[in-house]
Amino acid sequence: MRMRRAVVGVGIGLLLAAAPVIAHHAFSAEFDINKPFKLRGTLTKWEMINPHSWFHFDVKDETGTVVTWMIEGGSPNQLIKQGVTKHTLAVGTEMVIEGYQAKDGTNKGVGRDLVLADGRRLFLGGEANSSDKKPGGK
Amino acid sequence: MNHRFLVLLSGLVVPAAVTWLSTMPVAGQARSVGATTSGSSAKAYTAPRTPDGQPDLQGIWTNATYTPLERSKDVTKEFYTREEALEVAKRAAAQEAEQTEPGTVPDVHYDFTQFGLDRSQGAMASNLRTSLIVDPPDGRLPPLSAEGQRRAAERAAARKSRGGPHDAVQNEPLGARCILMDRNGPPMLAGAYNNTYQIMQAPGYVMILTEMLHDVRIIPLDGRPHLPPNVRQWTGSYRGHWEGQTLVVETTNLTDKFAFQGSSENMRLTERFTRVAEDTIRYQFTVEDPSTWTRPWSAEVPWKKDSGPIFEHACHEGNYGLYNTLVGARAEEKRAAEEAAKKKSPK
Repeated sequence: MRMRRAVVGVGIGLLLAAAPVIAHHAFSAEFDINKPFKLRGTLTKWEMINPHSWFHFDVKDETGTVVTWMIEGGSPNQLIKQGVTKHTLAVGTEMVIEGYQAKDGTNKGVGRDLVLADGRRLFLGGEANSSDKKPGGK
Repeated sequence: MNHRFLVLLSGLVVPAAVTWLSTMPVAGQARSVGATTSGSSAKAYTAPRTPDGQPDLQGIWTNATYTPLERSKDVTKEFYTREEALEVAKRAAAQEAEQTEPGTVPDVHYDFTQFGLDRSQGAMASNLRTSLIVDPPDGRLPPLSAEGQRRAAERAAARKSRGGPHDAVQNEPLGARCILMDRNGPPMLAGAYNNTYQIMQAPGYVMILTEMLHDVRIIPLDGRPHLPPNVRQWTGSYRGHWEGQTLVVETTNLTDKFAFQGSSENMRLTERFTRVAEDTIRYQFTVEDPSTWTRPWSAEVPWKKDSGPIFEHACHEGNYGLYNTLVGARAEEKRAAEEAAKKKSPK
């Protein structure tokens, strides 16, 4: 899944420092690169707020106790423009979340990858307006 | 090959590119008149008028682009051909949609594409230019003046004296504090996402709402003087007037807390908005700041019609990240102090 793609040179000149990931703050200051996690959780709430959205998940820990995790995602503005609402992803949706935990050690993390129970990566973007719109999936 | 990339390329980037090619006549026209900063291409189109007689700029617009502010050093021409421009856009879109390497700092981030935030998933205002800067002719920022160099050094020293970037909330960048971002300007330039603007006009005023940070500039057109020199504001004091079809906005009274490309509080900015087609505004700006640069410089950016609604970017309301960052830094300090204490007095 994380295969990197070889960029083919086309002789146009190396334009564009396309500034791939410009966020409004340094995520590596908020989350710990040394604390990667992989969790299976059930969505209880999706806060479509700015500057970044937050997903709330119920996650069973190793003792079977349910704990709440908050997972940071992207600004919702573009999704709202495309017709996505906070109900697009149903409460109760199961996901596997890979990411990095907050530096203060609490149950917060950045969601680097959100994968649905059937293995499809969550993809809220471009297909939001398609006729067979489903929560997530691409 | 990355499956997601294929999906993007087949499902999104190519349609975007087709749309993008359809915008070419405007850019091509600018190219044919050579300079781009003249009003020549505007003559072909006359904007409708608002009820009070202003050329109508109203609507929702985007300036999202992959064109960099400064021309890459290995590019020597002012414009790409269409084929080159399309290739450049495809590569930029692919690069933006690229997944990061696990365990690296860039990987500590959500995925732009999962939230529709890579530019190729939204409306774009592309053009054939190789840089947004049109003057100097090399498409690059002019050299710093002697004063500019001194100020840059002083700023760096001042930053250092304030301590680490997460020692205090005041040390965090303006964007992280939801105060100001490059979309807000002035001048207003696109970032990676939320590059949408809404223009509304009323008798005597033009209002520009910026999506990012939900910031508003209400620009008076009645010829009133600028604010007194001692009143300094994040986005300055701005006054507008019409020159034919073009809205001209002069901005002064900026603060040295905000440095656009290293500018000083003495920066004087002139922005020009001309509706050159039903779906296009040509946005030009000139920066004059002898305290920073050896000469004035100018840039040109198309704005394209976009759809709404614009969701309020209430940045302060949901800025948990700022809290998490500061709390995380304190937690790290505590851990470091405890480890240091353990080393000092081993039991």
